[in-house]
Amino acid sequence: MIIAERKPFQEIWEMIRGYERIMVVGCGTCVTVCWAGGEKEVGVLSSQLRLRAAEEGRKLNIIESVIERQCEKEMVEEIADKVREVDAVLSMGCGVGVQTIAETFEEKPVFPALNTTFMGMPEREGIWVERCAACGDCMLYWTGGICPVVRCAKGLLNGPCGGTRRGGKCEIDPDKDCAWVLIYQRLEKQGRLDLMERYYEPKNYRAVKRPGKIEAAIR
Amino acid sequence: MREKIALFLCDCHHSLKNIDFDAVREKAEKLEDVVHVGLSSALCLKEELEEMASAVREKGADRVVIAACSPRLSEPIFRNAIQEAGLNPNMLSIANIREQCSWAHEGDVTDKAIEMIRMAVSGSRSLKEIRREEIDLTREVLVVGGGRTGVRTALEISRLGLKTTLLEGTDHLHAEINDENVEVLTGATLVKVEGNVGDFSVRIKKGEEEILRRFGAIIFAEESRMVGIPTSGSKRVSGVISHDELDEMIRSETTRFETVAFLLDLHGEGFRLSTLSALRGALMVKEKRASEVYVLCKNLKVDSQGAEALYREARDRGVLFLKFDGKVKIEPLEDGRVKVKAKDVLLGDEVELTCDLVVVEEVSPPPSAEEIGPKLRVGIDSQGFYQDENVHLYPVLSRRKGIFFVGSCRGDLDPVRASMDVSSVAIEVYELLSRGKMSVEIERVKVEPDKCRSCLTCIRFCPHSAIRLTRLEEREVAQIYDPACDECGLCATVCPAKAIALSRESDDGILAQIEAMEEGRIVVFCCAESAYHAADRAGMLKMAYPSQVRIIPVPCAGRVDTLHILKAFENGATGVLVMGCPEGACRHLEGNIRARERVRYVQNMLEEMGLDGKRVKMVGLGPDMAWKFVQEVSGMMKEVGK
Repeated sequence: MIIAERKPFQEIWEMIRGYERIMVVGCGTCVTVCWAGGEKEVGVLSSQLRLRAAEEGRKLNIIESVIERQCEKEMVEEIADKVREVDAVLSMGCGVGVQTIAETFEEKPVFPALNTTFMGMPEREGIWVERCAACGDCMLYWTGGICPVVRCAKGLLNGPCGGTRRGGKCEIDPDKDCAWVLIYQRLEKQGRLDLMERYYEPKNYRAVKRPGKIEAAIR
Repeated sequence: MREKIALFLCDCHHSLKNIDFDAVREKAEKLEDVVHVGLSSALCLKEELEEMASAVREKGADRVVIAACSPRLSEPIFRNAIQEAGLNPNMLSIANIREQCSWAHEGDVTDKAIEMIRMAVSGSRSLKEIRREEIDLTREVLVVGGGRTGVRTALEISRLGLKTTLLEGTDHLHAEINDENVEVLTGATLVKVEGNVGDFSVRIKKGEEEILRRFGAIIFAEESRMVGIPTSGSKRVSGVISHDELDEMIRSETTRFETVAFLLDLHGEGFRLSTLSALRGALMVKEKRASEVYVLCKNLKVDSQGAEALYREARDRGVLFLKFDGKVKIEPLEDGRVKVKAKDVLLGDEVELTCDLVVVEEVSPPPSAEEIGPKLRVGIDSQGFYQDENVHLYPVLSRRKGIFFVGSCRGDLDPVRASMDVSSVAIEVYELLSRGKMSVEIERVKVEPDKCRSCLTCIRFCPHSAIRLTRLEEREVAQIYDPACDECGLCATVCPAKAIALSRESDDGILAQIEAMEEGRIVVFCCAESAYHAADRAGMLKMAYPSQVRIIPVPCAGRVDTLHILKAFENGATGVLVMGCPEGACRHLEGNIRARERVRYVQNMLEEMGLDGKRVKMVGLGPDMAWKFVQEVSGMMKEVGK
């Protein structure tokens, strides 16, 4: 899942300076689940904006809306009528959502209300952790299903680095687990410790061409 | 279709003199959708209630608003009355114009009464009918733990006519059971518990076999353990023994000792059971086997039955009690004796004892608690025992309906207290299961499947484990299991998709009340368990507080949403107070903690927006703390009021 978090209020406030009619658009998928851009957050941000506007005696009309998936043009087009009525759109989707809306309504300024941060999973309620860097060259088979690219602070492919702290913690951040200790423990459980001795060539990061594109065969 | 609202005013025997009821009536009649306004002097009397019912019927009203005394007093009879009139009992909204208006302020408060009625009328528009259903329950009980408490519990439950299964991990019970209504499974362990109150499905492993059984309730009655303290890493120090070992030694040997010390309170405050054992042991040793006997303790726990007498007897016989502070040092000597060093509080100096024997033992939770507690989501307390420390659960309830804890598995209980638990749980389980049916209000809290994003947030937040994922038309969505739900609304508040709605304290209802207020108000969200009572009490005691205060009752402080608070400010409120129970006393366990976190979040949000974060505050208070209520609302008024 894509994880994002709300931008600081001031930054959003600066973005919409000079616009009177704003549409705040949430997304019903990843960012709803990570508490950043669902219906509730749309309500909270809209309320904040109205409050601040009232404080400044400024006129501000807000339309609140949530799209099922902001990354789908067809779904984004469902708000076309409402978009026509506003001066700017404030997207509470991930970076993909913002761009899909911007692409769909080219004549409208579309602003991001979130910072898209990483792909991850919930550790427990309210806490999300990164799990995948989308490197384009997955090596999870060799590492017991634990990604050293993301979870090792140094992104080492051949670890651990020698700075592992007592209790298997990272030398850079004592609150974080050393990824390579985790990998060792996991492989041990699976009886595959021999994999620890394998040497990994530097990763071919060119596998990810920017901008990334996948052309899947029709099936 | 427009609502048809019947409004009834009560002036409580003409005693609410600071409200001009004629003026109220006149204003009320002009409110939209109000089809009837009745004025009574004692709406709670039988004749008046009948009159109210006939007015409701006559005007074809579909909901009722009553402006009278606190709903804590009269709500049940009013609900009955509107049910008599043919309405669903939930179609009632009450404006508490006596305790929280007339009695709470000096001078004329007609305007406030009118505003409160307007709030109640607005809020009443989002009332929903709640129907009741009878749900079948399994009339069988599982008792876990075949110790003294477990055996007694199983027999007691069986005596009440409920079929009981007693599960014990070892091969023997504390006492033999001759009761055909009790099935005994020894050498058996609990593998998995699914389902909820009235219908748990339990996987039990006995030998190699796995059995699947259904129970209406589960009672954990395992015994705590006594564990000796190893003192040198994992190695036992010779000369340091447990109470059982001491008993054995006295039985089998005739050795006489010079000095014996009993140690208590090595880890924080000690336990009742260890105290009793130490006192008994000290007496026995003093009498038969040793010249000098010491008991080292911090605060001696003598509140168990007989403990005080044992203590006095021990003193009379010459057992020396030493009250220490800080840590005790235990050093083995080469001759097999043990040196004990501790700081004596009375002497203010280090004391050194050379002992032949040191008896140390402390109570430890049953070994399964650590594993089963989190697995069943029933929580364990700070010392690792079952059951959260919470006044609403005392003595035997847990955060999950239908799961109970009795005896020393739930804390530091001596045998007398444990047997009181057995009686308590018997009453609870009998009330729950004896009928084999349970009348449950359906969908008091409901997930809108189309809006649910299956994010699991509500499932992770529900303090009562009443929500589960369920498959609905090829999609997995959250579903609330009505019998287990305690209607706290924490789920609705955290739902990021706004997919959960309460039938009573709905978002729409709360927001409608906020919108019906004038500007410049102090909005106080009051937990129905505590703050609402405190506010009523402030009125009863005529402790005047600012008349700008507007109270919105919520089932738990954790129900108050960021959106509710922001909307209050949008609507011109000067301050917002979220009032709930003190920490550790929330009926929904974490509700008040969630509320505190949320209020802090809103404070930061306001500061970030360039507004004053002090305009919102979380307060924890007990139901009898009227003074605190008054202090806080007055303080807020002083801070931000206009």
